[in-house]
Amino acid sequence: MERKNAAAAELQNVEFEYEKGEPVLRDISLRAEKGEWIAVVGESGCGKSTLVRLLNALLRPRSGTVSVFGEELTERNAPLMRARIGMVFQNPDNQFIGETVEEDIAFGLEGLCLDLAEMERRIERYAHRLKIEALLGRHPGELSGGQKQRCAVAACLAMEPEIVVFDEATSMQDERSRRELLEVMRDMKRQGSYTVFSVTHDAAEMLAADRIWALKGGFVRADRTPDAFFADEELLGDCGIELPFGLRLERRLSALGAAASDGGAAETGAKQAGEGGYGRVRHRQT
Amino acid sequence: MRDKLIIGRMIPTGSKVHGLDPRAKITAMLLFTAALILSDGWAQLAVLALLAAAVLAATKIPPKTYLRTMRPLRWLMLFVFLFQLFAGPGAGSAEASTAATALWTWTAGPVTLTSAGLSAALLAVSRMALLIVFTALLTFTTTPSMLSRGIEGMLKPISRGGTGAERFSLMMRLALRFIPALLEEAQTILKAQAARGADYEEMNAKDKARLLLSLLVPVTVGAFRRAEELTTSLEARGYRIGAPRTAYRQLAWRAADTWFTLLFALLPAGALIMRLVS
Amino acid sequence: MFGIGRHKRQFESSGDRGIEDRDRSGSEQAEASAGRGTFEAPGQTDSAAEREIVIELTDADYTYQAGGPFASAALHGVNMRVRRGTLVGIAGGTGSGKSTLLQLLNGLLLPTGGSVRVLDHTLLPGMKKPKLNALRRRIGLSFQFPEQHLFEDTVEKDLMFGPLNFGLPKEEAQRRAAEALASMGLGEELLLRHPLTLSGGQMRRVAIASVLAAGPEIMMLDEPTATLDSAARRELIALLARLCREEGRTILMVTHRIEELLEAADEWIVMHEGRAVFRGDADELADRADELAGWGVAVPEQLRCWAEWTARLPQLAALPLPRTADDMALRIAEAVRGAEISARSGNVRKPFGGAGSGPTHLLGEAGSGRPPAPSDKAESLPRAESVRRAEAETIGERGINVCATS
Repeated sequence: MERKNAAAAELQNVEFEYEKGEPVLRDISLRAEKGEWIAVVGESGCGKSTLVRLLNALLRPRSGTVSVFGEELTERNAPLMRARIGMVFQNPDNQFIGETVEEDIAFGLEGLCLDLAEMERRIERYAHRLKIEALLGRHPGELSGGQKQRCAVAACLAMEPEIVVFDEATSMQDERSRRELLEVMRDMKRQGSYTVFSVTHDAAEMLAADRIWALKGGFVRADRTPDAFFADEELLGDCGIELPFGLRLERRLSALGAAASDGGAAETGAKQAGEGGYGRVRHRQT
Repeated sequence: MRDKLIIGRMIPTGSKVHGLDPRAKITAMLLFTAALILSDGWAQLAVLALLAAAVLAATKIPPKTYLRTMRPLRWLMLFVFLFQLFAGPGAGSAEASTAATALWTWTAGPVTLTSAGLSAALLAVSRMALLIVFTALLTFTTTPSMLSRGIEGMLKPISRGGTGAERFSLMMRLALRFIPALLEEAQTILKAQAARGADYEEMNAKDKARLLLSLLVPVTVGAFRRAEELTTSLEARGYRIGAPRTAYRQLAWRAADTWFTLLFALLPAGALIMRLVS
Repeated sequence: MFGIGRHKRQFESSGDRGIEDRDRSGSEQAEASAGRGTFEAPGQTDSAAEREIVIELTDADYTYQAGGPFASAALHGVNMRVRRGTLVGIAGGTGSGKSTLLQLLNGLLLPTGGSVRVLDHTLLPGMKKPKLNALRRRIGLSFQFPEQHLFEDTVEKDLMFGPLNFGLPKEEAQRRAAEALASMGLGEELLLRHPLTLSGGQMRRVAIASVLAAGPEIMMLDEPTATLDSAARRELIALLARLCREEGRTILMVTHRIEELLEAADEWIVMHEGRAVFRGDADELADRADELAGWGVAVPEQLRCWAEWTARLPQLAALPLPRTADDMALRIAEAVRGAEISARSGNVRKPFGGAGSGPTHLLGEAGSGRPPAPSDKAESLPRAESVRRAEAETIGERGINVCATS
């Protein structure tokens, strides 16, 4: 039974361990609302990827419950729920199953038992949305890392999931592809029909999110808005995150009093410097 | 390593052969192989070679590319040639060969070469070459996924009800997709070793063997890592063996496929008849 | 006038770090703040122009699978020179030829056109594959993925693999292994571990240590920071910068984030579609920032912020690009104060007319008082705050001084 006001995903007192006696996640209780974009951050090995894998029952908690759209995940409903949760992984090579981009997108759709006409419609629609129409007939070996990742996103979105998880999807990408992918994620956010989780090390990606879940040593270290998160330098240090250059400059300037003496110059400068990301966050978050 | 391995990649030219149903092409290849095995003389081989040449030409892929596919196997071919020459039928004792309708014999000490032996050896190598070229033709004109779909389609009637055909097809698809990646990974490790003073190409046989052995662990680990990520990704995309699926690329058998298969069906039949007649 | 005099001295002494004979005062400040001025290894005092060229590519081409059905050119007519003891950043998008370039330099690939000279070896197209171990001992290459790099069953064996292959006795190799591990900031307890059980960051460092153990004069690293988190990236780059500054090694590092290496690199090469489309230092890079996107490289934040501010305060345009956020903030703050003060005093003379005359003094002082910035990860807040406050005060005082003396 799906409740109307249910959270998109909710973890309650979740514990997880791969090997006995070595807990990876401890007593995690978090809640994500529908339509939210949540960045999951922390040093490598803190359990971020494990956490998002619990969300679509790729892993099962040792204790505690994971619910998606108000429904607790069980062995039984896992395949059904997975159709509602798409995932994009770090290495695009190892998620490419089809021989061509088109076939790869179709692979997931075949599993949904769609008829040919619907498959063609979706392939066309999502190829268009991710601007990969020209690549549909290509072999993954002929694509750049960024193109492969766009195709992986298309394959994921074509299944029309309600939750999309990006598991370090940008970390192997070059800077340009990273920005392109971030734009895709922003687009998804604007559409409003997705709940997005992104596991990331990238500051721009964190700043674009609505909320940041920070993990440390398997515990929840923080659950804050990006602004509040980046204001806490100790927290940043705990998560292995460096303040991005634009923000660092902004802070130093205001410490030097320059920002105050030159009106809003420092702030706008740093904002624009942040390439949309910082500025937009500040406007959105009131 | 990868540049030598060109078999297993489709070369798109948009020819008629590319458009044939993979099942027709696989069947044709099987029939062609059968004919090769059954053939026992230059005349039959010439017919097969002519047909193969016609189909090769129809693929619009430059002949040089086909020749390159034989390169990795050139030592094996040489071995087969020499083996046939010295140990095959028609070789051996001088009496036996003179008894046969040999045009010439040539003896140097214990070694005797006869025209029949030479002919047999050349025949064996030519058969091998034709087989390689025809296999290459299949992979050059068919994407691995179509190939595996073709095999799945052909196996399905046999494994009625079970998931055998599907399993096999998935395995084929993944293998064809990932073997090149694994080879590339092995090559990178070899390069990393060369960069640290262990250049494979500068080594003696013993060191080479040791070095290749040391590749085993990282390549296996790499393969497992890939496999794990792939399984996760398959699972995340809702894939389960045996779960109902629709097919995006349905195989369509057309008249051309029937004719193509029939043409190749004539070959072993013809060879068989000729054998029976003679 | 003290400031100008000080700057002059700095500029003169900065000659020893340069690659080309151009005004290096900008990077000199970055260096000062990066702690480079604190050591002066013997044999490193030769002037820039005299530094030996250790790598020279002349119209180098490389084509993969030349003549085959899948032939694809990876490098076209690449020209470049690298002098000993410099840290060179190589940037470019995926498939721009960065990795091919590195493999050309240690003879893993031979050029298909032009010539490649590395140290005293010259590689030419079509030559019979020479014995390259003598060269590879002197130029190490660390590949992009550390797990493809580590193949022995203990870290120690892995570290010894290179030295042993290059003919060192076992004890010596063992000693080098331990040294290399230590200089990458890892403890000896890792020596007996299996390399594949290490964490990503450790694995990456062990992979670099395995190259370092052979004692190369030139080290090439292919995207060593990919997949590391930002704090780990900064630490690693600080370690590399130290190998270059303290031990005089030449370092070529491929990255797709110019930003992370801008502070440490002496020179940049940008690759695009197999061509070296840019060669020069960060200041020149700043001049051509608008071309970066076309080359498939993201404009680093430093350049974007600086462009933003120079548009706002034109007097900044004359200054070389500050490499760190602290330096940039100081200069901007100074310019802001300067503008205010000159406006207040009605003085026509611009306080910072000359290229970097004023700020240099300040930064020299502020910078030299601080520990090396790249490794300064755990910069504790209160202390940093007090330093900043002190700096702010200095600016205030100095601003007044400028006005008083002028």
